[in-house]
Amino acid sequence: MNKILHLLGEGFKNIWRHKMTALTAILSLFIALYIVGVIATAGNNTHKVLHYLRSKYKIEVFFSQDVSNEKAVGFIHKIKKIEGVRTATIIEKEDAVRIFKDQFGEDIEELLGYNPLPVSAVVNVNRNQRNFFNVEPIIKEIKSIPSVDEVRYQGNLINKIERNYKRVIDKLPYLSGVIVLIAVLIIYNTIKLSVYSRKEVIETLQLIGASNTFIKLPFIIEGILIGIISAILVFPSLFISVKAFNYLIDSFSSFNIKVNFDPFILVWMFFIVILISIIGSYRAASNFLK
Amino acid sequence: MIEFKNVSYAHSKGYGVNSLNMVIDEGDFTFLIGPTGSGKTTLMRLIYFDIFPDTGLVKVNGNKSTDVSKRKIPNIRKSIGMVFQDYKLLKDRNLFENVALPLHVLGYNKREIPDRVDEALDLVGLVGKEMHYPNELSGGEQQRASLARAIIKEPDLILADEPTGNLDPVASFELVRLLETIHETGTTILMASHNYNLIKGRGRPIYELKDGVLRIR
Repeated sequence: MNKILHLLGEGFKNIWRHKMTALTAILSLFIALYIVGVIATAGNNTHKVLHYLRSKYKIEVFFSQDVSNEKAVGFIHKIKKIEGVRTATIIEKEDAVRIFKDQFGEDIEELLGYNPLPVSAVVNVNRNQRNFFNVEPIIKEIKSIPSVDEVRYQGNLINKIERNYKRVIDKLPYLSGVIVLIAVLIIYNTIKLSVYSRKEVIETLQLIGASNTFIKLPFIIEGILIGIISAILVFPSLFISVKAFNYLIDSFSSFNIKVNFDPFILVWMFFIVILISIIGSYRAASNFLK
Repeated sequence: MIEFKNVSYAHSKGYGVNSLNMVIDEGDFTFLIGPTGSGKTTLMRLIYFDIFPDTGLVKVNGNKSTDVSKRKIPNIRKSIGMVFQDYKLLKDRNLFENVALPLHVLGYNKREIPDRVDEALDLVGLVGKEMHYPNELSGGEQQRASLARAIIKEPDLILADEPTGNLDPVASFELVRLLETIHETGTTILMASHNYNLIKGRGRPIYELKDGVLRIR
């Protein structure tokens, strides 16, 4: 017990004794963790961007001239039941005339003496799907409805967005993995430098009969403390960054996206940092004591 | 206590020690003399199992070089006090912390430590300098601090490798006197030196090491 208390104290004192080394380590680790945090937060919010973009996907369905408003309502119900469809809104013949007038300034019914515009519908797709969204099956099913005359949609644009989203999502875990690996290497190298800078202490401790565990433990405790301090600094920084990002998006763009900061990322990062601190410092101290 | 049987050890650059035979009994105060590079430090390192003989056997406190495991070495060193020419004091710790270090390694209770440190510092004449850092002490004081660190754990054996190498004649003489005082309590001491004038006429056995070969003088 006396030994453990002493070693814990030594771990704390080591940071104070080697303030500059510790500060460098804390800053390097802070940067690595900040990048990991940003990637994790971005990854966690990518679906929101997609959600937003998918809300803009619009499928316009035009029915045949002979389809009345009442009949179209029945078809709209059918469309709503198609998998992947979120909403389907009818645009009655009269509404179409009004829209035409709004857009072209002419009353087409007055001009021609009859209403040539068909009943149509605006279909919005499901936004919540995490995987690649394929619009083609929906279009196919809508087209299979007998009275549907024409279907207009942004097929190429939708496919491009979905493909790029998939590309990003597929690569995100690898990118995070690389950043975590970099964080491990930073801790490992920092502790290694710290161990080497205290070569003299280690040699003296060995000469007076200290076991390897006795020598290693303060370095491991020091590594963990450096990790915890870096994590404590990263948490508010990430929080502020997210707030600032939301403010910028809100103030200077027309996007209606709000990035959320998931507290689970903090818990996850905290455990990751403890784990990599232990691994990094243990490996560095062990290599020196071989 | 210490036994060398036909011990040879060669460093990678070729020099080392050759067929050493030596016996130091418990309670002896033995001098080891020889010029710089004669192998005195190599012999000391063989005793605290920092290196192992290429041939022959080193026996220290019943532990044989042929079957001592790496894990056992720290335990063996716990009963050996060591003093070096370059003191090996930790520069970032004050005198108190330096001297107390072996007690932490041995797991002493925090409350017992100050009294033990006071006792050791009293013996070497450094009371009142507890808060001084090594660079605030003279060479002689640093060596006495190093001695205090060696004796605080009440070792069976003290190995002093050229402890007077960096000291002036007065401080050197005082240090040897101090070692003699410690020896009176029953501690076995082996002191290496290249200064024959300092150790002659003390009525202690003197081993001479020259070109890696040992003989009794």
